[in-house]
Amino acid sequence: MEAGTIAARPISTHETAPAHPKARTGILKWLLTTDHKLIGVMYIWLAFFFFAVAGIFAMVMRAQLSAPGLHVVAPEVYNQIMSLHGTFMVFFFTIPIMAGIANYVVPIQIGARDMAFPRLNAVSFWLLIPAGLFMLVSLFLKSGSAAAGWTSYPPLTSRQFSPGAGMDLWILGLHLAGASSILGGINFVVTVLNLRAPGMSMLKMPMFCWNVIITQTIILFATPVLAGALTMLLTDRMFGTAFFQAQAGGDPVLWQHLFWFYSHPAVYIMVLPGMGMVSQILPAFSGKHLFGYKGMVLATAGIGFIGYMVWGHHMFATGMSPGLRQFFSFASMVIAVPTGIKIWSWLATIWGGSIRFKTPMLFALGFIALFIIGGITGVWLALVPFDVQVHDTYFVVAHLHYVLFGGSLMSIMAGIYYWFPKMSGKLYNEVAGKVHFWLTFIGMNLTFMPMHLMGMLGMPRRIYTYRPEFAGLNHIASLGAAILGLGMLIFALNMLLSLWRGRPSPPDPWAHEDQNRTLEWTVSSPPPPENFHTIPVMR
Amino acid sequence: MNPRCRWTPLLLFGLGLVAAAFLASPAGAWLLHPVTPVARDVRALFYKAVAITAFFFILAEGILLVAVLRFRARPGVPPAKWHENVRLELVWTAIPALAMVILSGPAFTTEKYMETIPKSDVQIEVVGHQWFWEYRYPQYGVIFANEPLVIPVGKTVAANVTSIDVVHSWFVPDFGIKMDANPGRINHVWFNVERTGTYQGQCAELCGVLHAQMFITVNVVTPEEFDRWIEQKKKGV
Repeated sequence: MEAGTIAARPISTHETAPAHPKARTGILKWLLTTDHKLIGVMYIWLAFFFFAVAGIFAMVMRAQLSAPGLHVVAPEVYNQIMSLHGTFMVFFFTIPIMAGIANYVVPIQIGARDMAFPRLNAVSFWLLIPAGLFMLVSLFLKSGSAAAGWTSYPPLTSRQFSPGAGMDLWILGLHLAGASSILGGINFVVTVLNLRAPGMSMLKMPMFCWNVIITQTIILFATPVLAGALTMLLTDRMFGTAFFQAQAGGDPVLWQHLFWFYSHPAVYIMVLPGMGMVSQILPAFSGKHLFGYKGMVLATAGIGFIGYMVWGHHMFATGMSPGLRQFFSFASMVIAVPTGIKIWSWLATIWGGSIRFKTPMLFALGFIALFIIGGITGVWLALVPFDVQVHDTYFVVAHLHYVLFGGSLMSIMAGIYYWFPKMSGKLYNEVAGKVHFWLTFIGMNLTFMPMHLMGMLGMPRRIYTYRPEFAGLNHIASLGAAILGLGMLIFALNMLLSLWRGRPSPPDPWAHEDQNRTLEWTVSSPPPPENFHTIPVMR
Repeated sequence: MNPRCRWTPLLLFGLGLVAAAFLASPAGAWLLHPVTPVARDVRALFYKAVAITAFFFILAEGILLVAVLRFRARPGVPPAKWHENVRLELVWTAIPALAMVILSGPAFTTEKYMETIPKSDVQIEVVGHQWFWEYRYPQYGVIFANEPLVIPVGKTVAANVTSIDVVHSWFVPDFGIKMDANPGRINHVWFNVERTGTYQGQCAELCGVLHAQMFITVNVVTPEEFDRWIEQKKKGV
């Protein structure tokens, strides 16, 4: 616990200055930094870059699907942008931005000067740059990028059916992103366990820190399995092994098991930090304490644990053995219970409160409203017969976007608006923020609600065009997507203009009466290097 | 402006659009017209799931809406101080858990019914190719590809599903059937169609560039027509 002792020593930043040169300015300040705040901000910029790229891909897809038989893009191009939309949104937007916000906020919330391994922290971030470049470059290859969906099921991804280098670049890119995740996971777990300020026991930590440490534990256990699966796929393609080649004694379904053993927990990797943010924001704007803190911690840990036992529900139509299907089915239903505990506790948190409808609060409330829908369709999908009916149709597209857009993205937006004044030292425009929320909320429902019906009517996912009978619902979805796009433009303008000309933010722009506020609001906006003059002592 | 006035039209607009979309959707979909016993059971299970989960949906969204409308910050009205109630937490853990156990009953029954293949009258083999379906009738020695599948009404059909190249998925919504076609594996499904007619489906697992064009058409005909058709096919081969 040496790190803990160091952190507890009350020293001023002035005294430590020589050991940590701060004088760098310009580009070097960013390239050479090991400051968790700068690294966090770089994570956020990078994630939003990929969000924009993947968002444009989504707009192109909705344009192509706005009517049957259109030729906005060629079929092979559609498959490429569809695959990279998923890959970017999952691995280069949602997971990194959660890591970015956690990077910025967690050390301050626990009263530490930085992450436990600052240099490793920089490595985690910088690994994402080549990872993303591999994917982006593959788009300009003559043979195109990976085009087998973000799930990349073999044998479609074998050398025989995807001969292009795009697939290899996809595998390598994902490998690097996975390595970045694992290194970050180690760093976060060590930081939260060892660098808490004196007096801050685990059960006094802000809820966000709990969600982050549980998420990072999931990353530590799940991501190496993805890395193994990717290596097997790569050696199948490069060196003629046959892990997934049926004709040589392998089994393509093995990939699906390995992939989903990572990628189902990855859903919780993408949504638990967001739940943590919401658990900070709801109390802040309703003037109450978070309801049932200990129950929330247990529920989060429960989700993290049961989350490992449900991956088979992605594979109910593969011809899995009946007993196994029942196990995965029941485990998937059971996970609704801890998820429910969280939703009831949030509702109890705002009940009887004194609610101020600032933009972060609107997004947090929108998160609850939409996540309930994603949770309920999730229970339906746990029922094997219903799942088989709608598996690989637009119903699943609707469900996953209610979880990852309605859940993750709404909470990310809540978190970004909540901590923007802290990170930038500037205030954003509240009116534009609210317009952004309403366009997002309405556009999201218009886009994804009709997809439930498309799926129930039998429209498969991942198709570049569809039979004419699905046209009406697709018109509505594309209209919704246009509204979403407009909302995101307003968001981008609001953030950029506020960074440039926003009014300065006080240490706590959300201060309200005698609330119990987390530590990041006790320091200036943005916080000084090393965060605290003297390490705070918690009562 | 009162928040109620601002939100209601938006909410009504959204609900109206969704309702319009639902009414405008085509008839003949499995949700409305299942044509096999399995598809009918799936629909019954879906209704049970909707009934059980609707309670929690309405309760949760209702509490959210009421809280948002009722607890807007007002000067002089301080927020409540409570933030714990173990009894309440036990209730909202136990009741959903109980609901899940109840729901698993019909789910497991239907699942068992789906996957227990009864004695079949017609056996077929379904083989996925990039990007068409090959059908075989081993009883009759008939093999063809890229044409509608023809089966007799009211007869139990057992299908063995596999693939020659990549993973495909044989999906006919009205039958309540979706089965992956994996290279190197043979999967089994069954169906017994109750009404004659033409049924549409298509491949449900991304299988390459023309995945969207890998259609399935099933003509369900009377047993007499089926016999005539199979005789012609035999001669044709």
